[in-house]
Amino acid sequence: MEGNIVYSTDPEDFYYVDINVPCQSACPADTNIPAYIRALFEGEYQNSYDMNRAANILPGVLGRVCSRPCEDKCRHGEAELGLPVNICHIKRAASDFRKGKAASPFNALPGIDKKVGIIGSGPAGLAAAHDLACLGFSVTIYEAMGRPGGMLRYGIPEFRLPRQVLDIEIEAVLRLGVAIETGVSVGRDMDVDELLVKHDALLSATGCYRPIPLNVPGESLEGVHSGLEFMMKVCKGENVRLGDRILVIGAGFTAFDCARTALRIGAKEVSICLRRTEEDLRVTGDEILETKKEGVKIESLMLAKEILGKQSVKGVTFFRTRPGKNRDDGKRDVTPIAGSEFVLETDAVIVATGQRPGPFEAPGEKDENGLIIADREFFRASRKGLYVTGDYLTGPSTVIEAVAMGRRAAHRIARDLTGKAFYEKAVCLKDCQPTDRKRPWDFLPRQEMPTLTPVEKRFEIPDIEVETGYLKEQSREEAKRCYLCYLHYEIDMERCIYCRYCIDVAPRDCIKLVNGVETNDDGAIIGFVETSEWEKVNAVIIDNKRCIRCGECVRVCPMDCISVTKVELVDRKI
Amino acid sequence: MAEQHFVVIGNGPAGNEAALTLREHAPEARVTIISRERGGCFRPHFLPRFVVGKLAEEDLYLSSAVSYRDKGIKLRSGQEVVSVHPDKRKIILDHKEIISFDGLIIAVGGRPRIPENLMVFGDLMLTLKTVQDAKVWIRKLNETDTVLMIGGDLTSLSFTKQLVDVGKKVCFALNDDAFWPLRFDRYLYNQVAGRLRENGVEVLEYSRIRGMSLLSDGMIEVNTDYEKVRAGLVGAFFGLKPDIAFLARSGLKIDRGILVDEYLHAGFEGVYATGDCAQVFHPDLRDYWVSIGHDNAVALGRTAALNLIGERVRAEPDMACIFDVQGVQVNSSWWMEF
Repeated sequence: MEGNIVYSTDPEDFYYVDINVPCQSACPADTNIPAYIRALFEGEYQNSYDMNRAANILPGVLGRVCSRPCEDKCRHGEAELGLPVNICHIKRAASDFRKGKAASPFNALPGIDKKVGIIGSGPAGLAAAHDLACLGFSVTIYEAMGRPGGMLRYGIPEFRLPRQVLDIEIEAVLRLGVAIETGVSVGRDMDVDELLVKHDALLSATGCYRPIPLNVPGESLEGVHSGLEFMMKVCKGENVRLGDRILVIGAGFTAFDCARTALRIGAKEVSICLRRTEEDLRVTGDEILETKKEGVKIESLMLAKEILGKQSVKGVTFFRTRPGKNRDDGKRDVTPIAGSEFVLETDAVIVATGQRPGPFEAPGEKDENGLIIADREFFRASRKGLYVTGDYLTGPSTVIEAVAMGRRAAHRIARDLTGKAFYEKAVCLKDCQPTDRKRPWDFLPRQEMPTLTPVEKRFEIPDIEVETGYLKEQSREEAKRCYLCYLHYEIDMERCIYCRYCIDVAPRDCIKLVNGVETNDDGAIIGFVETSEWEKVNAVIIDNKRCIRCGECVRVCPMDCISVTKVELVDRKI
Repeated sequence: MAEQHFVVIGNGPAGNEAALTLREHAPEARVTIISRERGGCFRPHFLPRFVVGKLAEEDLYLSSAVSYRDKGIKLRSGQEVVSVHPDKRKIILDHKEIISFDGLIIAVGGRPRIPENLMVFGDLMLTLKTVQDAKVWIRKLNETDTVLMIGGDLTSLSFTKQLVDVGKKVCFALNDDAFWPLRFDRYLYNQVAGRLRENGVEVLEYSRIRGMSLLSDGMIEVNTDYEKVRAGLVGAFFGLKPDIAFLARSGLKIDRGILVDEYLHAGFEGVYATGDCAQVFHPDLRDYWVSIGHDNAVALGRTAALNLIGERVRAEPDMACIFDVQGVQVNSSWWMEF
C-alpha cells in the first residue's frame, strides 16, 4: 500500500479489469485507454501521450495505423449505445497536440553489464529495444534495410503514416542509448553465431517478408506482383508502373494500401477482390470509406482460379463463392461454386493474400520451413541466448500485437540474463473523486476523422497524409463519449440505509436491488440476482458495466457511502 | 399452441405485400409491421409525378394506418429497429423495447446511394426516396427553373421526364457507371443519352465530379473534369443502397444486401429477407442477383411470406418486369450489380 494506492495481484481484480475495462483488456499492449482519454479531456495532451507510450511505445504511429481491437470492445458499440468511441483518433490527437518530448515510460535503471542484440527494427524490435534500454541493458539493433522502422517504413504508405511521425518515435527509442546498424543483413553480412558471441542474448524480430502465393496457374506472368514487394518498391521510391486496370486480390491492410497506392502511381481503375464480403473485412471502416472515396471498387464473393495471359497478364478467372459458417478463428468459411467461373480483364494483378517469415541461417532447431522454433511464452529458441519475437514467431499480426510481443520478449530476456523480474502485472486501486460525466454525453455523435478533400488533391501529392487529424475541440468532444470504465463505483453496504436516493437519480439502470451475487472460483463477482421484492433485497449494487460515471449517486447519498476507485492494469516495478 | 407472431421490418411495397400475404394465409397469427417511416405504405415510383403536381398526396399511398387495423395487422410506424438477434428471435427498437418473433421478414429496402467520393457534397444534393424528400423538391422547385441531375437510375430518368413536362430546364450528367444497378454498355448509354436530348435535356458527359459549391446567388456550381455547370438544384440519383447497417453483428450473412437463397431464406429458421435489401443466390445462374422496382418487390414480398408459413416457392428469374427507360426497354429483374 502506498498512501491510498493498493497494488493487487489477486485474480479477482484481474478478472474485474478484464470484464469491466473492455478496451484495455482488448489491447494487446494493455494500453490504459480510459486514463489517457480522460487526460486528453482535461487538456493534458503530453500526459495522455505519455500514458500511451508507457504501454505501446509508438502512439503517434499507432494513432494512425492501429487495427483498433479496443474499439470493437468499447461499450459505446454495444447494441443500444451507438458507435464505439474513436479511441485511435484520440490517441493521435494526444500525439498531435503534445508539446514536449516523449518521457520514458520507465525510469531508466542503472546500467547492467549485459549486451542484447536485436535483429530487425520493426515494431517488435523497436519495442524490445526500448524496454531493454530502459531496464539498463546495452542494446544494438541490426537492420537489413537502409533505415529503421521495418514494415512501418517499407510496408505502410506515407499517405497513411507520415515518415516524420515515424522518425520522431524511432528517435525517442534511439535516444535511450540504443545503437543501430542499418544495411546489415543477417546471413549476408553477418551470421547469428557471430552475433551470439558478441551479445549475451540475441532477439530475432525479423518479421514476415515472404509473400504467400495464390498457387493458381499464371502467377508467374509478367504483371503479377506480390503486394508486399510492390509496397516496398514504392516506399523505397522506385519507379513502378502497373497499367490502367488493376485487380488487387486480398482483404487486409496491405491489399487496401496496394489499391490506393496503385491509383497514386497512375492506375485508372482499381478493384479489390474479396473471397468473402465487405462485412467480413478486418480493416477499419475509415479505411474502407477512404478507399472507396478515392475510386477503388470493392468486389466480393470471388475466388481466383487462374491468371490469364501468354507472357503478360490479361485477366483473371474467378469462381463465385458462397459464405458458410463462422469458423473458430472468427472468419467465415467460403465455398467456390462449381460452374460459376467468370473473367475480369486487367493489366496487372497484385496478390496481397498475406506473408510469412523467411528463413535465415541460425543454429538450433528449425521447423519444416527452416524457421527457428521458439516457444511463445518464453520466446526462447533451442540455442541458448537466442530468442524470437514478433511476426517471425506468430505469423503476420498487427502493429500493436508486434509491439506487445516485443515488450514481452524484452522482459523475458531481462529476467533470464539477471535472474530477476523487473516489473510485474498488477491492478492498481486508487481512491479518486467522482467524475462529472453528463448523461447527454452518451448521445453525442461520434466525431469522424477529417480527411483531405477534394479527393483529387491526394493524387496531386501522392504522399500527402489523407487523415488530417482532429481539431482540439473535436478530440475533447470525442473524449466526452468515453464511459471511463476504469472508475469503479461501489456502495458500502455497512453504511447504506437503503434510502434509494441513488436509484432515483441514476440516469439509467445502473443501480440494482439484488438478493445476491454470483461469483466465480476466484471470488470475482460475475453476476447479480436482482429482485423487485423489497423484503428480499440484501444489497444495493452499482453495476459498473452500466454506470456512466456521472457521479450523481455519490453527490446525493446522505450517508456518503459510495466510493470511487480508479482500477488500472499496470506494470509495477518490483 | 401459442399464437404465432410474425414481424415484418419495413413497409415498402415488399414489406406491405408480405404482411398482407401473411394475414391472408395465416389468419390466426399476429402480424406486426415495424416501419421507420410514418404513415402507410406509399408507391415510391409515383413520387416524380407527385413532385410536379400531377398526383395528389393521398394517391401516393397504397394503404393507410386505418386499413391495417381493419385487416388485423399492427402497424408500428415511426419506430426504428436498431438490432436483430435471429438466433434468439428478438429484435431491439431504438427506444430499447425488445420484441420477440416466431417469424421475421426483413424488407427494409434501400436508402439513396451517394458514391463515397461525393458524400462530402451531400448537403448540396437532393434525393428522392421518401414523401418528405418529395416535399423538399416541391418547395425548392418553386424557387428555380434549372435542375442538374447527376447519376442515372430509373427514378432520375422518370423524374427528368416529369420536370421537362412542367417546363423546367434539366441538365443531365451521365456517366457510364451511373446507371445503377445496371452497368450500361456504350450502346445503351448512347441510346438513353439520345432520347434525353430528343426530350430537350442537355446531356453532359463526365468521368469525375471534382467539386461542388454554393454560390452567393443561391446557384450551385458543379465542377466536372470537363466543364463547370450551374443549376438551382442538384439531384443525386445513384440508385438505392440496401439499408441494412443495423444488421451488423447480427450473424446474418451480409454482402451488398442480405444474402438469401432462392427461397429468400436468410440462414436462420423463420428469418427471410425480401425486396431491394435481399441479395438472392440462384442455383441455376450460380450467382447472386438483386431485383428492383415496385412490381418485383411485391412479388418477392409475397414469396417470402409464403415461404415463412411453410410453402416452398422459389423466387424465379422469369418474373421479369420491364422498365421503359426513355423509350429503351430494360429488364429490371436479376441485375447482378449493386
